Amino acid sequence: MQYQITHTTEYEYHQSVSLCHNVTKLILRNTHDQLCKKTVVKIIPQPDVMSEYKDFFGNHVMYFAIQQEHRHLKVTVSSQIEKKAASVSSLNFYKGTTWEGVKLLIQEPGDDNFDACQYIPETDITRSTQEILQYAQQSFTPGRSMFDASAELMQRISKDFEFKPGFTTVATPLAVVIKERKGVCQDFAHFAIACMRSMGLPARYVSGYLETLAPPGKEKLVGVDASHAWFSVFIPNTGWIDFDPTNNMMAGEQHITIGWGRDYTDVSPLKGVILSSGPHQLHVSVDVRRMS
Amino acid sequence: MISETAKTSFLEEYFNNSHSNNDLFGFNPGLEQNWKTFFTSFSNLGNEEIMNRSQDMMRFLKENGVTYNIYGDPSGLNRPWNLDIVPFLVSKEEWLLIEAGLVQRANLFDLILKDVYGEQRLIKEGVLPMEIIYNHRGFLRECCGINLPGKHNLVIYAADIARTNNGKIWVLNDRTQAPSGSGYALENRLAMARIVPELFNGLKVRRLSPYYNAMRNALTEMSPQQKEQPRIVILTPGPSNETYFEHSFLSSHLGFTLVQGDDLMVKDNYVWLKTLGGLEKVDVIVRRVDDEYCDPLELKEDSQLGVPGLLQAVRSGNVSIANPLGSSVVENPGLMPFLPAIARKLLSEELKLPTIASWWCGQPKELQYVLDHLPTLVIKRIFRESFNRTSVDATLLTNEELSDLRQKIIAQPHLYVGQEKVDFSNTPAMVNGKLEPCHALLRCFAVSDNGNYTAMEGGLTRTSLDKNNMVISNQLGGFSKDTWILSGDETSTLGIKKEQEYVHAQKHNTKSDILPSRTAENLFWVGRYTERVLGNARFQRTVMQFVEEANKAFIDDDLNLKQSLLRALTVHTHTYPGFTGTGSEKKLLEPWKELSEILFDSNRAGSLSCNIASFSRAVYAVRDHWSTDTWRVLREMEEAWQSAAAAKHKGHYKMLNAVDNLITSMMAFVSLNRESISREQGWNLLDAGRKIEQSLLIISMLRSTLVTRREGQVEYILQEAVLKSNESLVNYRFKYRAHLQLPLVLDLLLLDPNNPRSLVYQVERLKAYLSGLPKINVGHALAEHERLALEAFTMIKLADKDVLSVADRHTHRYKKLDEFLTKMNMLLHNISNVVSKTYFKHAQTQQQLFRSGNV
Repeated sequence: MQYQITHTTEYEYHQSVSLCHNVTKLILRNTHDQLCKKTVVKIIPQPDVMSEYKDFFGNHVMYFAIQQEHRHLKVTVSSQIEKKAASVSSLNFYKGTTWEGVKLLIQEPGDDNFDACQYIPETDITRSTQEILQYAQQSFTPGRSMFDASAELMQRISKDFEFKPGFTTVATPLAVVIKERKGVCQDFAHFAIACMRSMGLPARYVSGYLETLAPPGKEKLVGVDASHAWFSVFIPNTGWIDFDPTNNMMAGEQHITIGWGRDYTDVSPLKGVILSSGPHQLHVSVDVRRMS
Repeated sequence: MISETAKTSFLEEYFNNSHSNNDLFGFNPGLEQNWKTFFTSFSNLGNEEIMNRSQDMMRFLKENGVTYNIYGDPSGLNRPWNLDIVPFLVSKEEWLLIEAGLVQRANLFDLILKDVYGEQRLIKEGVLPMEIIYNHRGFLRECCGINLPGKHNLVIYAADIARTNNGKIWVLNDRTQAPSGSGYALENRLAMARIVPELFNGLKVRRLSPYYNAMRNALTEMSPQQKEQPRIVILTPGPSNETYFEHSFLSSHLGFTLVQGDDLMVKDNYVWLKTLGGLEKVDVIVRRVDDEYCDPLELKEDSQLGVPGLLQAVRSGNVSIANPLGSSVVENPGLMPFLPAIARKLLSEELKLPTIASWWCGQPKELQYVLDHLPTLVIKRIFRESFNRTSVDATLLTNEELSDLRQKIIAQPHLYVGQEKVDFSNTPAMVNGKLEPCHALLRCFAVSDNGNYTAMEGGLTRTSLDKNNMVISNQLGGFSKDTWILSGDETSTLGIKKEQEYVHAQKHNTKSDILPSRTAENLFWVGRYTERVLGNARFQRTVMQFVEEANKAFIDDDLNLKQSLLRALTVHTHTYPGFTGTGSEKKLLEPWKELSEILFDSNRAGSLSCNIASFSRAVYAVRDHWSTDTWRVLREMEEAWQSAAAAKHKGHYKMLNAVDNLITSMMAFVSLNRESISREQGWNLLDAGRKIEQSLLIISMLRSTLVTRREGQVEYILQEAVLKSNESLVNYRFKYRAHLQLPLVLDLLLLDPNNPRSLVYQVERLKAYLSGLPKINVGHALAEHERLALEAFTMIKLADKDVLSVADRHTHRYKKLDEFLTKMNMLLHNISNVVSKTYFKHAQTQQQLFRSGNV
C-alpha cells in the first residue's frame, strides 16, 4: 500500500520574532515494513540555516533557524511511503516466549538486545508508581507469554480509559491521566510504557500517523487526520511489536511510523525557541491519503 | 618581647591531649620536619599576633570580595570566605604519588568520556554496566556521535582526595563537569602570602601559577579555527550562583569575558557575544553552567541559563566548550567499583590512587552487601542534583531514616552506590584561638596541556570540625586552608611573591576592548544608583538639618517651612504617602520616625537603604570592574550603613552622621572610578547613567520645592535648602554676592555651564557620552537618543531665567518653570529608555514554542 502524508505546522506570532531555532522530527524513517520513497520539506519563511542528521535513536532530525524578522512560520512535510503487510508466520513464532524469559534473554550479547535494554529504565514522564506496577501485574502473571500479556495490557487500557481529546496536553502528568482515566493516544502509550518498565521490560514510544477512513459513501476531508502515537514491545530474536491502545489493535498497514524514543520528548515532532515576549498560536493539520 | 611560654602555648595545648604525634600530623613521617619548621615560624609570631593576623586575613579576603553563596540562606548571598591561618602540608614524596595518580585519572576519565559518547565499547564488552551510564542524568543522548577536536575531550578534571589514618591517600570524588575551587585556591594563596609571609620561611612551597598558564594555553588551543587570539568567555549562571566570586575572579585573572546565557546567541551556527558595538564571535566557552541547562532548544527546555542552539554550534564544530556538554555523566560514583577494570582495559595500568571500596547496588550480590551493612556505609546516588543532597553518611542516621533509605535503594537499586566509611587522618587547624585536630579534604586540579595533563601544585583544602561527618561541602559550612606542596627544589617564598605580582600585573593588562551589553547595562545602572543614593542622601541631610535647627533657632513661620521641606522630601524620594496626604499631620509634628524609615527601612520603596541595595546589586553584577581599593570603600560603606541602621534610635545626630559617612564613601567610590576605569565604552555608560540621574534629580528637586510660590522666608529657605543639597550654596554666594532670589537660583542650577552641579552641565556631558556610543546605523542622521539629548540641551540653552521666574497670579505657581521641568523630565526619561532599547538587547526574552501533541 502506498501513502501520501502531508503534515503542516503553523505558528502565528503577535509580535515579530527576530530569531528562531527549531528542531523537528517529521521526516519518516524506514522500518521493516515501511519504505520512505520521497520527502519534500517546505518552510516559510526560508530558513537561513538548515541541517539534517540522525539522533541517538536513529530518527531523522532536521534543524533550522530563521534569523530575520517574521510573524508567521509554516512547516510542511510531504512524504510518500510504501507499507508492507506483516507476515502471519512471524506472529506465531514469538508467541511462546514468557515475559520472564524476555528479561533473561535480553541480557545476552547482541546488538538488538543491547539496543533494546536502553528502553527499560523509566523516564521522567513514565515514572513508575505502586499503582502502575499493580495495574501491570494483573496482565503480567507468572509464566505468561510476553505477547499475550502485552496484548491484554493494551486491551485493558483501551477498555479502562476514555478517549477524550482536549482533556490533556503534552504537559499533563501521567498521574492525572491515571486518576481521571481519560486522555489521548500519547497518554495511553505513556501509561502502557510505564507499566512495561515497572515490570523491568523494554518498551518504546512510537510517533506516527494513522490512516482514517471516511464513513461509507462520504468523501474524506483533507487535514482531519492527526499525528498519532502507540507503544512497542521487544521480544528477543524476534524484534519489536507495535500495539495501539487507543484503537485496541496491533499496529498494521494503516499505522505509519515517523520515529521512536523512550517517550514523547525524544520524538516530539517540532520544538523551538524564539526570541520574543509576545504570545503565539499553533495550528497543525495532517492528511494521510492512499495513492492508487 | 613575647615570653617563651606565650610563644609555644598553641602547640603545647595541641599536644597536651592524648593523641600521638602521628595522629596529629596526618600519619606522614615525611612531614614531621616540615611541620616543625612551620611551627617555629608560627610560634615566633606569638599568640596575639597570630590572632591579629587571622583577623587581617579575614579582612583581606572580605575586601577582595571573596565570597561563597549559600542557597536558601537569608544572609546567604555573598557570605565571606573562611580561611584557616594554618595551611595543609603535603610532602614532596606524597605529592609525587598524588600528581601521578591525578594525571592518570584525568587520562582515564577522558577515555571513558570518549567511549561513552562514541563506540561504548566498555558497555558492549561488559566492563561497565549500561545502567550506570544510561540512568545518569548527565548522559546527554544529544551529544552522542559528535566528534570533538583536540587530543582530550576532558579539559579540566578535579578530584577530592583524603589521607586516612594509615597515611594512605584515597580518592573520594571525581569532578568532570565544571570543577569549582581553583579560583579560591589561588585567592587563599594570595591572602597567605600577603598577610603571613613569615610562615613560608624555610619551607619551599610550590607555586600555583603554572597551572593557570597551562589552563590559558589549553583553552587557547581549543579554539576551532586555531586562532592566535581566540575569544574565550566564561559562562556563569549569574551572581546568585554559589561560586560566582570564582567565576568573576577567574575571568579577570585569565582575561576572559564573563558572560551569562543571554549575553550569547547562536546565529549561522556560530556563537556570538552581544556587545555594545554589535555581535562578536565566540570561539571557546569555559562552562560553569551544568550541561543540562546549556541549551533550552535541545536539553532542559525551561532553562534560562543557556543559549538556544548551542549544541548545533558544537555539532558544526564552530565552538569548543570546556568541559564539553555531556561530561557530567562520568562524574558518577557508580563508576568507582569498575575503575580498576576500566584502567586495565583502557590504559593497561593499575590505578595509582585507590578509590574507596564501593558497591554498585545494580548487581544483586552488591545490593545485598549494601543492605546488610547499611548503617556502616556512606550512600551516594550516581548523579548529583543541585538542590538535593545526593550523598548521605548512613552511620549518622536514625533507625527510621535507615529504613527510608533502604526502601529507596530497593526501589531503584541501580541509582545507588554504597561506599566504605574510612577514618580521615587529622591535621591541625586554628579554631577559636586554639589549635585543634580536624579532618581535611583536598581538591586537586588537572588541566589538559594537549599532550598530557598538568596538575595544580596546590589545591583547595576544606575541613570540617565534625569528626563524624564524612561529607564535607562548602554548602554545609566548614572552612578552607591553603595547600602547600613542599618541594626540594629551589622555588621558595621568592616564588610566592612573584605570583602575587604576576596576578596584579595581569589585572591591568586584560582590559577587554569589548563590552557585553549586559555589563554595559549594569554599569549604566551603577551610575544611576550612585547618583540616586547621593542625591537623596544630600537632600534628606539638608532637610534633617533644617528640621533639627528649626527647633532651636528662631525662624518665622517655622511650621509652614517644616511642612514644605518634609513634603518635598516625600515627593522627591517617592516614599508616599509619607509626609503627604491624610494622616500626615502627626508625622509632620514628630517627623523623626518617618525620617528614620526613609533612611533605613529597606522594605520601603524609595528609601535610602532600598536604593543602596539596588546600587549594590548592580555593583556586584559587574564585580570585576572595580579595583581593590574600590571594594574596600564599598565594604566599609555597607558595614557602616548596617551598623548605623542598628543604632538609629540613639539620636538624631547619629542619623546625620550616618548620612555624612555615606556621602563621603559614595564620593570616594565616584573618585576612585574616575582614577581607575579606563575611558572606554564602560566609562561612557557608567557616566551617562550618572548624568541622566543627576539631571532627573535636579528636576525632581526643583519640582518638589520651588514651582509653588510661597511666602517670604519659607521660599527663601527652600531655595537655600535646594542650593545646599546641590552643593551650590557657597557657589551662589561667591558668584552673585546677593540675597537668594529665584532667577539667580535658577540661573545657577539650570543654566550656568560652569557650575558642575547645573542641569546644563549634566546634559552637555550626557550629549557627549551618547555620541560616543557605537553607531548602530550608518549614515549621518542622528540616532534617536542623540536627537533627544540635543533637544534637551537646546531647550536649556534657549531658556530665559526671568521668564521661568514669573508666578501665575491665580494659581501661585511658576507655570513656565513647571512646564519647562516637566518637558525636560520627559526628554530625559526617553533618553534612558531609548538607550536601553538600543544597546541592552538581551532584554528580549526567550520563549519555548508550543508543541503539538498526538491524538
